[in-house]
Amino acid sequence: MKYKSTAIFWVTAVLLLCVGLGDGLLAAGLQEQAEGTEPFWLWKFLGRLHPLAVHFPVSLLLFAALLELFTLKNFNHKLRPGIDLLVWAGVAGAVLAASLGWILATVEDYGGSTLDVHQWTGIATAIIGLLLIYFLRKTEGGRNPKSVKAFRSVLFVSAIGVSVAGHFGASLTHGEDYLTSTFPWNEDSYSPENLNIDLVAFGEEGELSEQKQVELVGKVRAVLAHNCYKCHSDAKIKGELRLDEREYVFEGGESGPVIVPGSSGKSELVRRINLPKDHEEAMPSKGKVLSGDEIALISFWIDRGAPWPDAASEVSEYRVAALEPRRPNVPAARKGLDQPIDIWVDEYFQEQDMSWKDPVDDRTYLRRIYLDIIGLQPDPETYKAFEEDTRPDKRAAWVEALLNRNDDYATHWMTFWNDALRNDYTGTGYITKGRFAITDWLYTSLRENKPYDQFVKQLLNPDEKSKGFIEGIRWRGDVNASQVTEMQAAQNVGQVILGLNLKCASCHDSFISDWKLEEAYAFANIFADTTLEVSRCETPIGKKASTKILWEELGEIDSTANRDKKLEQLAEYLVQPANGRMYRTIVNRVWKQLMGRGLVEPADEMDNVPWSQDLLDWMATDFEDNGYDLKNLIYKIATSQAYQQPAVAIEDPQILTDDDFVFEGVVTKRLTAEQFADGVSQNIHPLFEMEELQYNPNELAVSEQSTMTFARASLVANNDFLKALGRPNREVVSTNRDSQASLLQALELTNGETLNEALQEGALRWKEKYGDGDIIVHETYRQLLGREPHQNEFNVAMEVLGEDPEPAAIQDFFWAVLLLPEFQLIY
Amino acid sequence: MNYNWRRREFLKKTSAATMAAMAAGVPMSGLLSSCSTKEKIKSTADTVILLYMAGGMAHTETFDPKKYTPFRKGMESKEVLSTFDAVPTALDGISFSEGLENIGQVMDKGTLIRSYVAADLGHILHTRHQYHWHTCYEPPQSVTVPHMGSWMAKELGPVNPVIPPFINIGQRFTVGEGEELKAFHSAGFLGSEYGPFLIPDPTSGLDSVRPPVGMSNKRFEARNQLYERLVQESAMGEFGSDYQKESLKRSMEQAYMLLNSPEAKAFDLSQEPKEKYDTYNTGKFGLGCLMAKRLVDQGARFISVTSEYEPFMGWDTHENGHTRLKDMKKLIDAPIAQLIKDLDESGKLDRTMVIVASEFSRDMLTEGRPGAKVKDQVEVPDIIQDMKNYGMHRHFTDGCSVLMFGGGIKRGHVYGKTADERPCKSIEKPIKIAALHQTIYHALGIDPETNYEIEKRPFYTTPDGDGVAEMDLLA
Repeated sequence: MKYKSTAIFWVTAVLLLCVGLGDGLLAAGLQEQAEGTEPFWLWKFLGRLHPLAVHFPVSLLLFAALLELFTLKNFNHKLRPGIDLLVWAGVAGAVLAASLGWILATVEDYGGSTLDVHQWTGIATAIIGLLLIYFLRKTEGGRNPKSVKAFRSVLFVSAIGVSVAGHFGASLTHGEDYLTSTFPWNEDSYSPENLNIDLVAFGEEGELSEQKQVELVGKVRAVLAHNCYKCHSDAKIKGELRLDEREYVFEGGESGPVIVPGSSGKSELVRRINLPKDHEEAMPSKGKVLSGDEIALISFWIDRGAPWPDAASEVSEYRVAALEPRRPNVPAARKGLDQPIDIWVDEYFQEQDMSWKDPVDDRTYLRRIYLDIIGLQPDPETYKAFEEDTRPDKRAAWVEALLNRNDDYATHWMTFWNDALRNDYTGTGYITKGRFAITDWLYTSLRENKPYDQFVKQLLNPDEKSKGFIEGIRWRGDVNASQVTEMQAAQNVGQVILGLNLKCASCHDSFISDWKLEEAYAFANIFADTTLEVSRCETPIGKKASTKILWEELGEIDSTANRDKKLEQLAEYLVQPANGRMYRTIVNRVWKQLMGRGLVEPADEMDNVPWSQDLLDWMATDFEDNGYDLKNLIYKIATSQAYQQPAVAIEDPQILTDDDFVFEGVVTKRLTAEQFADGVSQNIHPLFEMEELQYNPNELAVSEQSTMTFARASLVANNDFLKALGRPNREVVSTNRDSQASLLQALELTNGETLNEALQEGALRWKEKYGDGDIIVHETYRQLLGREPHQNEFNVAMEVLGEDPEPAAIQDFFWAVLLLPEFQLIY
Repeated sequence: MNYNWRRREFLKKTSAATMAAMAAGVPMSGLLSSCSTKEKIKSTADTVILLYMAGGMAHTETFDPKKYTPFRKGMESKEVLSTFDAVPTALDGISFSEGLENIGQVMDKGTLIRSYVAADLGHILHTRHQYHWHTCYEPPQSVTVPHMGSWMAKELGPVNPVIPPFINIGQRFTVGEGEELKAFHSAGFLGSEYGPFLIPDPTSGLDSVRPPVGMSNKRFEARNQLYERLVQESAMGEFGSDYQKESLKRSMEQAYMLLNSPEAKAFDLSQEPKEKYDTYNTGKFGLGCLMAKRLVDQGARFISVTSEYEPFMGWDTHENGHTRLKDMKKLIDAPIAQLIKDLDESGKLDRTMVIVASEFSRDMLTEGRPGAKVKDQVEVPDIIQDMKNYGMHRHFTDGCSVLMFGGGIKRGHVYGKTADERPCKSIEKPIKIAALHQTIYHALGIDPETNYEIEKRPFYTTPDGDGVAEMDLLA
C-alpha cells in the first residue's frame, strides 16, 4: 500500500472525527432524552455492538506493535506495508469502538469508577490513534528518523492504551475479579450456599413433582434469604420489594413485577443479578454478587414457571437443629477406651483418618485440671504428691477431689456464669434500681452443685434472689421496643439457655433464621405482666402477639394467667427432657470451657453443625440420665482420653470458628483475667484486699463458711486490671473471652499499678522468707511454673538477682516469669 | 476499690495507636468483617476535636439568644426567654449570648447550627442522651456499641502511630452515674483496642506515659531484657508456635517501645509558653483544649474534651441557672476561641474539624419536647421571687445549638433556626444525630455503609446505615 498524498490522511482523519463527534453529540442528546423514556431501539442496538467492535482495535493495534518490533533495525522491513495497514484499521476500529461505547454508556445506565477509567482510556486511545496516523504519514517511508521515533512511541502507547481500556471494559462486563478469582490463593471468604442441587437432573424431568418443586423453591429461597433479605424483607423494604414471602415475590416492587414465570430473560430480578457489580442497578447492591450457580438456579426456577407450592412454606431455608433428644447407641468399647466420650471421639478420629496421641504427662494434666476446675494453680507439694501417687486411676481420683472443693469450684465457675447471666457487682442500672444481682443465689447454686434443670427453673421462675437474670436492666425513660426488659429476657434466655439468637426477630422477622417477630413477642409475653404490643423496627403495628413458648410441642402457656403462673409453666416446660436443645446447649458450653472449642460454634448458635452429632447427643442425654449434674459432666470430660490429648496450638483464631474445624484435642487457652490474677495473688502477693470482695464466702453462716485465703478475682468488682485482661462489661450477655493477647493487656501488665504494687510487696516478703538468690530462682520456677528452672534459665536469672538480691530485682524477676507464655497459657 | 483510670486507661488507649500502626494484619475477632463496596469518599478532615458541653447547654443562653428578660422579683417564669443580653458576632445579624464574645468573633471560620433536635428517650437521664449522642444508638442495645471515636480509631487508625487515635480528656468516672458513663466510653464490639484513652485531668496527663512508679528508665529496660532472655530460654519452645504466644510476645514488645516514645511531650502542658497557657487556663476544660491543640500538632485522630458530666454540676443547672451560666461561659469562651484561632493560624484547621455540642438544651418551662413532655424533674415556681429560680432548669430536646469549624465545614454559615417565642423549638432544617454523625464521617472519608456483622446482624456507623450526611454543612 502506498500513501502518497497528505490529502488521504486528512480526509480520513476528518471522517473518523466526524463519526466520533457525531456519535458523541448524539449520545449527549440521548442522555437528556433518556431520563424516563426508553431510548430509541437503534441506539441500544448500536451501543450493544460496542463489546463486539472493541476486539478489533485491541488485536490490530497490539499485533501492529508486536510486528513493529521486527522493524526496529530496518524501518522498511518487508512487514512495513502490513503494519501500516494494521495501524490504519486499528485506529479506525478504536474510534468506532469508542463512539459505540459512548452510546452504550449513555443508554444503558452504567456507572462507577471502573467505567470512568475505561471510558477515558478508550477515548484517549482513539485520539492518540489519530496522532498515530499523523506520525505514520510523517515518517515518509523511514526518511524522517524523528517521526519514526515518534510513530513508534505513539504506537506502543496506543497498544498499551487499548489493552488498559480493554481490561477495564472486561472488568465491567465480567466483574473485577473475573480472572483473579480463579487463583487458588484468591478464594473468596464468602462461600455461596452449598446449593447441593443437580439442575441437570431436574432439567431432564418433565413435569416437576410437588416434592421436587418444594425442593427447588427451597433452594431458591435460601439464596434469596442469604443475599437479598437484608434489604428486601420484613426488616427493610427497599424499592418496595420484599422477597421473603411468596405473595411479595410475585407482586414485585415499585417498578413492577420482578419475576415473569416461565421467562428468566424477561425477569427484572434475573437481569439485575446478572449486571456487573459496578452497575448502578446491579443486585445485590451491597455485599457479594451472586455466584454463577446461584444465578443459574434462580433462572432455572423461573424458566420452569417459578413453582412455589403451598407445601414449600413449611420448609426452612436455614439449618434447624432437632429439638428432641436423641440417644445414639454407643459403639462397643475398644482397647484402652471405655468412656463413651472416647469411643465417640475414636469413631470421629477414624472418620477423619486420625489417630490418638500419647496423653499428656502428670504435670501438664494436673495444671490443666486445677485451672479448669477450680481456677487455681497447683503448688509444688501438690505436683509432688500427684506424681508420687501410684494408683492407676489417680487422674480420675484427683479430678473428683477437685470437684469436691466446693467453694473453690464455685468461685472459679462464678466467672463463667457471671459473664453468661450478665451478673455483676457494679454496672449500669444499679443506680436507678433497675437491675438486680443474683450473686448469692448463683454462688450457692454452684457450691451445692444444683442440678441444672433446677438451676434453670430458678432462673426462669425466680424468687427474689435469682430474679436478676430475667429482670434484665431497666433504664430510666423510654427504651426501644426491642429492648424492654421482657424482650431482654426473651433474648437472653434464648441465647444463654437455648443457644438461639432471637435478637433479630425481636425487631422484625429474622433474616438469619425462621423466627418471626410475632414468635419473639409471643415468647417475651411470658415474661410480661400484660401482653406486649408488637412493634416492627420500633413502630407499633397495632397488634398483640399470643403467649407461646418458641416450640409449642413443649407445652401450652396459659395466656390469661398472671406472670408468676406463666413463668412457672415456662420453667416446667423448658426443662423437660423433651427439650433436648437446652441440654445440648449446656453440655456444649461446658465442653467448650474445658476443651477450648465447642462441639458447636459459636456456642450461642446451636443450630450450627457439631463436629460430632453423636457425641453431642450422647452427652446431652447422659447428662439427663445423671440428674443434670454439672460436676458429673465435668468429671466425664476431664477424665476422658480426649481431654488428656496434648494441647493443640492454633495458628489462627479464625480456625476455631470455621465450619470445617477438625477436633484433635484440647486447644491451648489463655488464662482468664481471674485465673491470672489468682495465680499472682496465690504465690506472690494478693492483688486485692479482702475488703474488696463483693461477695465473701468466709462470712457466710458458720456451717457454710469457706476458708478463702486471699480475695479471689471472680468475687471483686470489675476494675481496670481485670478489664484490660478481658473481663467483660456485663451489661449484655457474654459467652466468649478473647484468648488473644493485645497491646492493651501488655501495657496494663507492664505499667499498671495493681500488678506493680503487688509484685513490690511480694518481693519484700520473699526476700524476707527466702533471702538467697538461688533459692528465690528455684522457688519462683517451682511455684509459678511447677518445675525447676533449666540451667540456662537459672543462669540468666542469677545474673540479675545475684546471691543477695535487692527486692527490686526480685520484683522484676517475678514480672518476667509471670509474663512467660508458659505461665499465661493453659496447655 | 479506687479507680486509677488515668494510668491504666492511658496505657490501654496507647495500644490502639500502635496496634493499628505497627501491627497491621493482627487478626481481629473472627466475627468482624468490614464490608464496603462504594467508591471512596474524598476526605476533607483528618482529625476531629469534640468539645462536649456535658449536662445540657441551654441554646437560648448561649448561641441562640432570645428576648432578654432581666431579673426582677415577682416576674412570671413564663416571661423568661433569655437571662442574658445578646452581643454581636463576626456574622452579620447573628448574636450570641453575653459572655461568649470571643467565640462570636471566630464564627466567620465555622458554621452555627441552631436546629439540632435530640431524641425522645422519655423521662430524661443525661447519661442515656450522652450515650445516644456519642454512639448514635439509643441505649440499651443488645450488644455493646462503639463510641464515635472508636469508629474513627478502627476505620482510620492513628494519624501518628504513637498518639492514641481516640483520646478522651476531662471526664472522671468516679462521679454519680459513673457506670453509665463507662457504658459509652467504650469501643464495644470493635474490641478494646479501639477504646478511649482517658485523661481525666489534663494537668497530669504526662504521668501516664512513664514506667511504673518508682522505676527508673534503666531498670525498666533491664527488666524488659530479662523477660526477653527468659522467653528465649523458656521450655515453652517445645510446645510449638501459636498465635497466643506470638500475640503475647508481640504486644509486650510494642508496650515496651511505646513507653520509650518521645511523643509523650504532647501530654505535657508545662512545655507550653506561659502566655498561651494562661489564655487557655480557665480551668480543666480550658487546659483540655490546650492539650487538644498540642495533640493535633503531634498528629491525633479524635479528641474529646468535655466540660465533664457530674449530676447537677456544670451545664446541668437545676437551680441558679443564670448565675452558674456566667461561670460556664467564662470556662469555655476564651479557650474555644483560642483553639480555633491557633488551629487556623497554623493551617491545621483546614483538616481538623472542631465540634461544640451538648446532649440537649434547657428551658425554663418545657421538660422534654413540646408535645412529648415528660416527667418534670425541677419545680419551677410560676412567680420568681428568688434569683436561684432564674435560669433554664428543665431539660429541653427540641432545639439545641451546635458549632462546627474546619475540616471542610463551611465558614461563616448559619444552619437552621429556632422560634423566637417559647417553646423556642427548631423551625427550620431540624437536624438529628445520625445526620450529624454521618456528616462527620463523610468529612473523614468514612463510607456510610461501613459495617460489621455482629451476631449475624450488620451494625453500621449509624443505625441501619441510614444516616445521611448534611452536605449543606460542608463547603
